[in-house]
Amino acid sequence: MAAVSVHQFAQCITCHAWSPDHTMVALCPNNNEVHIYRYSLDKWEKIHVLQKHDQIVSGIDWSSMSNRIVTVSHDRNSYVWNQEASEWVPTLVILRLNRAALCVQWSPKENKFAVGSGAKTVCICYYEQENNWWVSKLIRKKHNSSVTGVAWHPNNILLATTSTDGKCRVFSTFIKGVDPRGSGTSVSSDSKFGEQIVQLDLSFSWAFGVKWSPSGNTLAYVGHNSMIYFVDDVGPSPLAQNVAIRDLPLRDVLFVSERVVIGVGFDCNPMVFAADETGIWSFVRFLDERKISSSTSKYGSQFSEAFGKLYGQTKQGFWNDAIEPSRPRGGVHENCINCILPLKKAGDAIVKRFSTSGLDGKVVIWDLENQTDISSYL
Amino acid sequence: MVEQEELVEADSPEAIIIAIENKSRKIDTLLKQSKPVEALKTALEGSPPKIKDERCKSASWIVVHRAMMGIKDVDGLFSSLEPEYYDILMKYLYRGLATGDRPTCDQFLRIHEKLTEKAGLGCILRYLADTVNII
Repeated sequence: MAAVSVHQFAQCITCHAWSPDHTMVALCPNNNEVHIYRYSLDKWEKIHVLQKHDQIVSGIDWSSMSNRIVTVSHDRNSYVWNQEASEWVPTLVILRLNRAALCVQWSPKENKFAVGSGAKTVCICYYEQENNWWVSKLIRKKHNSSVTGVAWHPNNILLATTSTDGKCRVFSTFIKGVDPRGSGTSVSSDSKFGEQIVQLDLSFSWAFGVKWSPSGNTLAYVGHNSMIYFVDDVGPSPLAQNVAIRDLPLRDVLFVSERVVIGVGFDCNPMVFAADETGIWSFVRFLDERKISSSTSKYGSQFSEAFGKLYGQTKQGFWNDAIEPSRPRGGVHENCINCILPLKKAGDAIVKRFSTSGLDGKVVIWDLENQTDISSYL
Repeated sequence: MVEQEELVEADSPEAIIIAIENKSRKIDTLLKQSKPVEALKTALEGSPPKIKDERCKSASWIVVHRAMMGIKDVDGLFSSLEPEYYDILMKYLYRGLATGDRPTCDQFLRIHEKLTEKAGLGCILRYLADTVNII
């Protein structure tokens, strides 16, 4: 089995985050609290309850180097939690939002974090030493609807967002005095704060779960119309691929390597996508079953119309496989999975283990170690 | 230059109507030759989702409807219909079901059942989610 550990923490989990050494997990049990559990003596033990928010906590991120937790909530506030002695001490971050905060992520250098919100804005927050205060700078323009996902490029400057207006956008978040000059790539170093680098107009419905590949060369996000999008050469002339999914839409994705992506969502079962030698992405299989499709689907990956014609000739594929009209529940997850996180040791190039949480209240740890067919793509 | 002019003309509603009329004749021929699947493919091909003009949409719908009503062997249809047609076929299926016309609904429900087996729920979701490219 690919799932190596399953634990029921609550009725429902909105989001979770791991401590730097992966011994503790912080999660929101669908209320205004954040619970921190530690794994010791073969069982999970609740060691802290972070109570400060008034409404559902919609995003948690635990920084790996500085060991700080940032939480955002529908109450429009954000807190940065620092561990002092055995207690977690909150610092309020004034986001200046008039709608719920929906998602949060620390930047790779952990000197900034980004918050997506229902107010059609993204907040970039950074620490001001003089005032001992986290300052929020808003990207007000461009988004026509709620921001459902934020993802930092490895260069600490570029930020990708997805929104319920169907678009995926990439912004520069260069902040004078926080980011050293010329720290970004050639694209971003001469961009001002909040400048839009590119807008990807691939989806006609809500977009979710944007992520960068480890190198930052590829971007993946999903649409609520059962599509997943892969974008190379993010910049003035991006190269996009759309892959249509046979089943229910996805909510979040994770790059385990440059060429393998795990998608999770309403099908309650992680899906594996991989790129072949020529860089064409396709669906490989579900992770939670040992069924291996005879050949990967060629339908949907549409580089251009010319490619589409080629794919049309492929008679084999999972479309023709034995059909299961409705897969019985009884997989590891029993409800929509809305969060997927890597469990990567420092220095590892490839994510071998990752965790998922969802509306069924479980946190599941998956291991790709013995999945030989997937390893061949890594 | 000539090519460009043709492109511009091809986008006008009148030009599209003419193209659809041509397509309609081709489909009639194919139906007479008992090639219903070929007829359906012809009907679905280049059916213009981005066209805003309602007359063009209706004209296109009438052609597709005739081709779909010509399908007798639904299993046979899916053994020779390529997956690239699935999404557009699903859109026309729902348009047909929305008419409430008894013979149309009988036929379209039969096709809908097989298409859902083949193309999965994702195909239905792509129809439901797409509020821009309405046929």
